[in-house]
Parts: sequence; C-alpha cells; structure tokens
Amino acid sequence: MAEPAAKTAFAEEALTHLDTLYRGALRLTHDPDAAQDLVQEAYLRALRYQHSYQAGTNMKAWLFAIMRNLFWDRFKGSRKEDVSLDDVGEFVLYEKLRDEGARPESDVLDKIAASEVVTAVDKLPPLHREVVLLVDVEGFSYKDAAETLGVPIGTIMSRLHRARQQLQKSLYDYAVESGIVHSGGMTQVPQQ
Amino acid sequence: MRCEECATKLDRYVDRELTNTEALEVQLHLEGCPDCMDNYEFQEHLKRLVKHSCDCDTAPKAFRDKLRQMLS
Ligand SMILES: [Zn+2]
Repeated sequence: MAEPAAKTAFAEEALTHLDTLYRGALRLTHDPDAAQDLVQEAYLRALRYQHSYQAGTNMKAWLFAIMRNLFWDRFKGSRKEDVSLDDVGEFVLYEKLRDEGARPESDVLDKIAASEVVTAVDKLPPLHREVVLLVDVEGFSYKDAAETLGVPIGTIMSRLHRARQQLQKSLYDYAVESGIVHSGGMTQVPQQ
Repeated sequence: MRCEECATKLDRYVDRELTNTEALEVQLHLEGCPDCMDNYEFQEHLKRLVKHSCDCDTAPKAFRDKLRQMLS
C-alpha cells in the first residue's frame, strides 16, 4: 500500500487527466451516466494498480488505456472484431467540394455545427472512433496512440485514414442535406 | 516533390508525424503549389473542427469532486 501522501499526489496527478478520460468515455458510451461509471471504475482500478505505472511515463495514455480496456470488457464483451467500418472507398471531401465548385472549400467547414461533427464522430465504429479521439481530439502522437490501444503504428494510421474518410463522407452528406452544399454543381454558402 | 507525393504525406504532415526533413520538403512544396496549399489548409481546418467540436465536453464539477473524495 502506498504512503497516504504518495497516494494523494498520484490521485491529484491522475485527476488532471479527468476531462480527457470523461470525453473519451462519453464518446465511447454515448451516455453521461455510463461514462461516469466507466471513468470512476477506471480511476479506482488505476489507484489499485498504481505500482504498475512508471513515474515519468505518459500517465494520460496509461489512464486512457485502463478506461478503454474496461469499456471493451464491460460494454462490448471484448468482441472487437465484430465491429468494422463499412467501406466507403476513397472519399476525399476536399476534392468533392472542389469538383462541385465550393470555393473556398474551407467556408463549407465553417458552416457545419459542432454538434453535427460530434454526431459524425459518434457514428464511427468504436475501434475507429477511439483513434480519432486520441489523435485528433486529444493530440496523441501515433506512437502514444499505438501504445494506448495496444496495436502497431501502422494500424493507427490505417484506422485513422479510414475513419477520416468516413467522417468526411458523413459531413458531406450533412452539408448536402442541410443545403450548405448543393450536390452536383451550384454551391451556396449562406451567411449566418 | 510532386503533388501526388505531397498528398500521400499530408495526413502525417497535419498530424506532425513526419521527420524534420520530410516536413521541410512538404513545406517547400506547399509554398510553391497553391493547389496543395489549399488542400493542406482544408485538412488542417477539418482536424481543428473535429477537435473543437469534441473537446467542449468536460467532466461535471460534482463528478470531479466525488472522484477526488473517493481517491483521497
Ligand atoms: Zn502540389
């Protein structure tokens, strides 16, 4: 058992990563209550296995790994391979918008509400979603993401690539449905 | 560097995952190629959009307090 002071210092440092864990749990479970349960369980487990954390290494990655492993054990019954991404083929939003005359292409992105982006992220299969969360939202390096998820860096890159294609496809579909982009040519970017 | 090569490295450039030498080569290409620069700025914008859309969720204060209590 760790000394009380050491235990407190460890807990305090661990809690500086709470927002990252909570956001990750929320995006994985889609449910605030389930996210809190998951994060709480992850912290209790982290405290219990405190001795296995090497001081000076990436605590955020270590904690995230505990949380997502719990998620897969508890919510998904470890059947990770059942969840795969539909093959959307090569979908490059930038090219799609350029071909349709939406210039500058970035103006379209400015018209997409944050909630729609979150919806698009939530629609990704969890194995792809967690890579986007780590790399794009939390700013993990490929190497840290690979260690967190226990996969090779090449897997991170391929999941990220496919996730981004799917994400761009979802955002494009939304832009068309909401009239931000008119599929097949004329493009209107309404002022807010 | 040709545009195709630049395109294949753009993901890693945006993610800051290229070596310094590779990143410099991409940067030099971008500075001389408006098309690739446009594409780069779009990808960078998209990455920022995903980040800012998702990172406004923070842990509720009551939950943070409860955890702090539980862990101390
Ligand atoms: Zn070029």
